[in-house]
Amino acid sequence: MDSRTLSRRDFIKLVGVGTGGLVLAIYLDGCAPQTTEPVPVISSLTPSQADIAAGTSVGTPTATPAASYTWTPSIFVKVDNNGVLTVTACRSEMGQGIHTALAMLTAEELDVDWANVRIEQAPTDSQFGDQQTGGSVSISGYYLVMRMAGAKARQLLIKAAAQNWGVEADQCTTQPGFAIHPDGQQKLAYGALVEKAAQIGQPSSMKLKDETRFRLVGSDIGHWDAPQIVTGKATYGLDVRLPGMLYAAIARCPVFGRRYNSYDDSAAKAVNGVRQVITLDDRIAVVADNSWAAIRGRDALQVAWDEGDTSNQNSETFLQATAARLAAQDSAPAGSIDALYQIPYEAHATLEPMNATAWFHDGICEVWAPTQNPQAVQRAVAGAVRLSTGKVIVNVTLLGGGFGRRLQTDYAEEAALVSKAAGAPVQVVWTRADDLQHDFYHPMRLQYFRTSLDRLNMPSPQGNRTASSSVPTGAWRSVDNFPQAYGIQCFLGEMAAALKRDPLEVWLAVYNGRAAAVIQLAADKAGWGSALPVGQGRGLAYHATFGVTHVAMVAEVAVDTGGVVRVRRVVSAVDCGRAVNPDNIAAQMEGGIAFGLTAALKAQITIKDGRVEQSNFTDYPILRIDEMPLVETFVVESDRDPSGIGEMGVPPIAPAVANAVFAATGKRIRHIPILPEVLRA
Amino acid sequence: MPSYILQINNVAYPVEAEAQMPLLWVLRDLLGLTGTKFGCGEGLCGACTVLVNGEPQRACITPLSSVADKAIVTIEGLSEDGSHPLQRAWIAERVSQCGYCQPGQIMNAAALLAKNPNPSDAEIDAAMSGNLCRCGTYQRIRRAIHRAAQEA
Repeated sequence: MDSRTLSRRDFIKLVGVGTGGLVLAIYLDGCAPQTTEPVPVISSLTPSQADIAAGTSVGTPTATPAASYTWTPSIFVKVDNNGVLTVTACRSEMGQGIHTALAMLTAEELDVDWANVRIEQAPTDSQFGDQQTGGSVSISGYYLVMRMAGAKARQLLIKAAAQNWGVEADQCTTQPGFAIHPDGQQKLAYGALVEKAAQIGQPSSMKLKDETRFRLVGSDIGHWDAPQIVTGKATYGLDVRLPGMLYAAIARCPVFGRRYNSYDDSAAKAVNGVRQVITLDDRIAVVADNSWAAIRGRDALQVAWDEGDTSNQNSETFLQATAARLAAQDSAPAGSIDALYQIPYEAHATLEPMNATAWFHDGICEVWAPTQNPQAVQRAVAGAVRLSTGKVIVNVTLLGGGFGRRLQTDYAEEAALVSKAAGAPVQVVWTRADDLQHDFYHPMRLQYFRTSLDRLNMPSPQGNRTASSSVPTGAWRSVDNFPQAYGIQCFLGEMAAALKRDPLEVWLAVYNGRAAAVIQLAADKAGWGSALPVGQGRGLAYHATFGVTHVAMVAEVAVDTGGVVRVRRVVSAVDCGRAVNPDNIAAQMEGGIAFGLTAALKAQITIKDGRVEQSNFTDYPILRIDEMPLVETFVVESDRDPSGIGEMGVPPIAPAVANAVFAATGKRIRHIPILPEVLRA
Repeated sequence: MPSYILQINNVAYPVEAEAQMPLLWVLRDLLGLTGTKFGCGEGLCGACTVLVNGEPQRACITPLSSVADKAIVTIEGLSEDGSHPLQRAWIAERVSQCGYCQPGQIMNAAALLAKNPNPSDAEIDAAMSGNLCRCGTYQRIRRAIHRAAQEA
């Protein structure tokens, strides 16, 4: 197929009926406004607040004079009379590079240079479909949508140029930023065509570029907001500043799901800068002139909590109860092996702690939040402060990490309630302890495997249980894929050892197709089978997160006499379909590996007396630079439509390391984190 | 309430606040310099790193009174226009993911290069191990520091 000319039906078929399909249906039905205002947004923003809300789009890579005319051919695209393309990104940017990738797709089809691309965060609006950023589906869901948005604008610009020249539009072409005359000589800049293009209406067909002729897609492009980040100008949730804004810190019950009985706020009110103490349903907010006063005021509250019997709970009991329900009563019969794998609670520990800013005023509530889920925030805030959703305006800032934590809405609901009670704009600040102790954790998960060794089969767990407890759980980068991969990939390693076969041979016996291809690629690039010094070992693991992106990893570890595991090198092979931004795929592998290594080797959340025991990076230690392995990523070239990458680096790393530890020491570790004391034992 | 004059990025800022107020919150909440980030509040993550008389310091555990007569540099003042060799290297090596820890990483790296213009990997690791990045940008941070060292 040279190029794709798509009917609406084809398009729905290609995209499916998920979020992308919904947006597209709206878009192709011509419901997208054709005027210069992309979306009717209810907003009372004054210019200075609008600047704050639009913080993610501040700054330009190249100096361009202010535009005097802007054309808005779809909800995703603006082109101004300087030829600058502004892409509206309807997904949250939390480091996964989605803003840049979405804009690359549109810029590719519109045919503009990257220097003339700007990116704006979309308002929270159902015209964009479901704006939740999760499940690594933004690229697969929007691969065609964002291209179509660019293609449509290009088609209209060509038509405008053709009318100008009195030639047939289908004889004209484009070069970056210009429509080109059939003679190949004359050209008209996009900026000079936008006013005319705005008069044309809908193009008759949508012709997408031949993917083999991609110029931007497939090249390494750094995150668009990097210049803002490295100068400290990027606006995260905590950087929102409003006139007259107050700050709040909140005392939440240390055991889950309970509330306060009584409290004494006299010491809190004596703290310099504390203005008000506000009781919410189950928690107490201290409102102050600055974050420091709010936190000190909160810490000075004397609260008697109604903990109930939740305070008897601890994670060791959860573990034993769950294990007792899982493990076989009989021992594995001769000629078979069994194993029980354990994953503890894990925190997200985004480096920007939870926070949100809200301003309840004049019958509306404005929210500024680093959120992965603006529409859920809108609904939750509306419910909390008793407004209709149309009266809640949610502005998405940059996110200082998300990893699934920011799919929740708790942080924004609190801010709205406190603002409503305080009668002022309020930023609710969470300390690191608040963040670690009031998370929605990766659940504690146990899996039991048993297999006979007479045939080599793909293992599947006989039993798979999540600990039932009061501990709130939620999506944690790669969700269930993390425990699944740990169990299956470790057990494959145990099968290989029991059969006295080379692990690579075993993996290639149970996998085929794209899976086998990445396994072989990772093994080849890692030098599988070559000798390593004593105390070192290699481990292999593979996983297709959400069944769509194939990732194999070979980890090389060294284990010292103190039991400390040092991961020296990780070779990662990835097949995620067409690589939109290859260097970002490598970055996401590095990020996924670092995230997974923190859980595999260092950090866990434990519960004692109903409380989370960890409170900061001393006891929830995340991976440091001197612990970061050299990560080498190899991306399989592919013509398939792209699948996701944001979460896919996490699942394979923990089993790859466990298998490498076995190769290095002969010790089989079935639970994480693999701490030095476990290996010394 | 005591009053101070802070020298930040070569600008004098009058500040009226308690002596013990951490510099981090002075910068962020009183002066609107939000490039310096809050991550842990206990000097454990490095997101709030600033330079005080050229030394890297964790602003979240630095009392206001201790910096009153000193030269403070924050990420906003590292260069006028983002042209510091580290800022350029950071973009060239495509270091940032979420970006939240990066101002602190860059300020800490600036202090390292001022003392050691051509650090080895081991020296980089030793100097930078107190700056946490949850996105795992570490190997790119190493590369960017080497690049900046070569270009400076």
